[in-house]
Amino acid sequence: MFFEIKAGSPSQARRLFKPVSVFEAHDGEIAFLIKVVGPGTQALADLKRGDPLLLTGPLGNSFLELQGKKVLLVSGGIGYPPLAWLKQVLEPENKVIHIHGGACVTDVFPCDRAYTLDGSFGIQGLVTRDVREIIKAENIDTVCSCGPIPMLKALQSCVSGLLHYASLEAYMACGLGACHGCAVPVGEGWQRVCKEGPVFEASAIRWEEL
Amino acid sequence: MKSLATSLGRLRLKSPVTVASGTFDPDYFELFDQDVLGAYTTKTITLAPKAGNPHPRLYETEAGLLNSIGLQNPGLKAWLNEDLPSLLDLLRIPLIVSFSGSSEDEFLRILEGLEVQDGIAGYEVNVSCPNVAREGIAFGADPDVVFSLASRLSAITQRELIFKFSPNVTNIACIAQAAESGGASSLALINTLYGSAIDWKTGRFRISSPVCGYSGIGIKPVALALCHKVAQMVTIPILALGGIHNWRDALEFFWAGASAIALGTAFYSDPLAAVKLRDSLEKHLRENDLSLSDIIGKAR
Repeated sequence: MFFEIKAGSPSQARRLFKPVSVFEAHDGEIAFLIKVVGPGTQALADLKRGDPLLLTGPLGNSFLELQGKKVLLVSGGIGYPPLAWLKQVLEPENKVIHIHGGACVTDVFPCDRAYTLDGSFGIQGLVTRDVREIIKAENIDTVCSCGPIPMLKALQSCVSGLLHYASLEAYMACGLGACHGCAVPVGEGWQRVCKEGPVFEASAIRWEEL
Repeated sequence: MKSLATSLGRLRLKSPVTVASGTFDPDYFELFDQDVLGAYTTKTITLAPKAGNPHPRLYETEAGLLNSIGLQNPGLKAWLNEDLPSLLDLLRIPLIVSFSGSSEDEFLRILEGLEVQDGIAGYEVNVSCPNVAREGIAFGADPDVVFSLASRLSAITQRELIFKFSPNVTNIACIAQAAESGGASSLALINTLYGSAIDWKTGRFRISSPVCGYSGIGIKPVALALCHKVAQMVTIPILALGGIHNWRDALEFFWAGASAIALGTAFYSDPLAAVKLRDSLEKHLRENDLSLSDIIGKAR
């Protein structure tokens, strides 16, 4: 589940909305965790209490509700927020381990095991480094992931055979299914990350075309 | 109260605001009432299904959007069976079907397939897509080809026949005249400009196609100039598009000679852009005791 959001400031009037996953939602409140990567996210970061925030949503599908599973959550970079929330949702009825990877310490947030490329925090290396061992040691039966395409691709090659649900990041324009800008190769055709996704069964994605 | 009604060739539109092909779908009607629009234009349909272009297909620039969708569509047969019935159930406004082909015969075959269907008000002949190899712009760049295509298509339909042009040609006015002479009853301009973006650090193109389509605010001055230029050279009406975001933008195009306008990229920065444009335009005309006909083509 995600929202198309942008700052309501005049500088953003003719700029696109950006898709952002939900970080937390309860008691009528919703939280987003945003990394500044360009002018749009900078304008969001600059918002002060009381400034207007524009949003459309909720949009897209969600991870399946699971019960009695041993779930490995794997996130990379800005893929962290939806999986942190998923952990909260799944934990009462499943055994959940969340591993997260980033470039350096500033990309790391609370999780069960952290990886950084430069070794500035946690274990040095890619988040997919120990996935095979964790799956075996913890008897994992389901994997949920969110992160950059190369990470998801590498993850799928480590977990084939297990149920793997991947939430895809994609550049979007409309967020409603109209423009087909976010389409990815799934099954025999193309599916829209904003409409049929963002969560797909990873085995259905034609990773070699991404 | 001044009416916002306008004419586009054989079509009488209750609102001069329409949508650019491929940018819009009926889900937007969950956000606003369809009567805001004068007509609904479909995504471009081709004879055979098209998977579209590889990922990534979009990139936002400093001033507008790059896209390379590649005319992804289910093909005529599936569209007629699966999409048209639900569109006809939904729409109270005129339906304009956009289509493209890779040969003159293919354009004709599609039109023949559409002609036997009830409920279609008009056609947008897309001879201007920059993102496909053989269709689109290959057809819209040559006045002789456009004249021949317009002649053959206009011979078999009484419905509104809009030719949609690209700005990526040497002399758009000459091509527009060829379409008019061939029997086109109105013109839509402009489709996207050629555009490109490269990651300065890695040297990689931002989109899967190095050269793709550029739309949005950055192309408005180009679209306005071409609208004015073509309006001087033809007598058939112009449906203008290219970077229009609000009622002030729309007014500029009416002054330049457009009879109606279309929004595209604007929906991605404001899903309610069409409602706001229509309401503010109506207010402006009322407050200044103007009707659209007082303005269209009167830039000085």
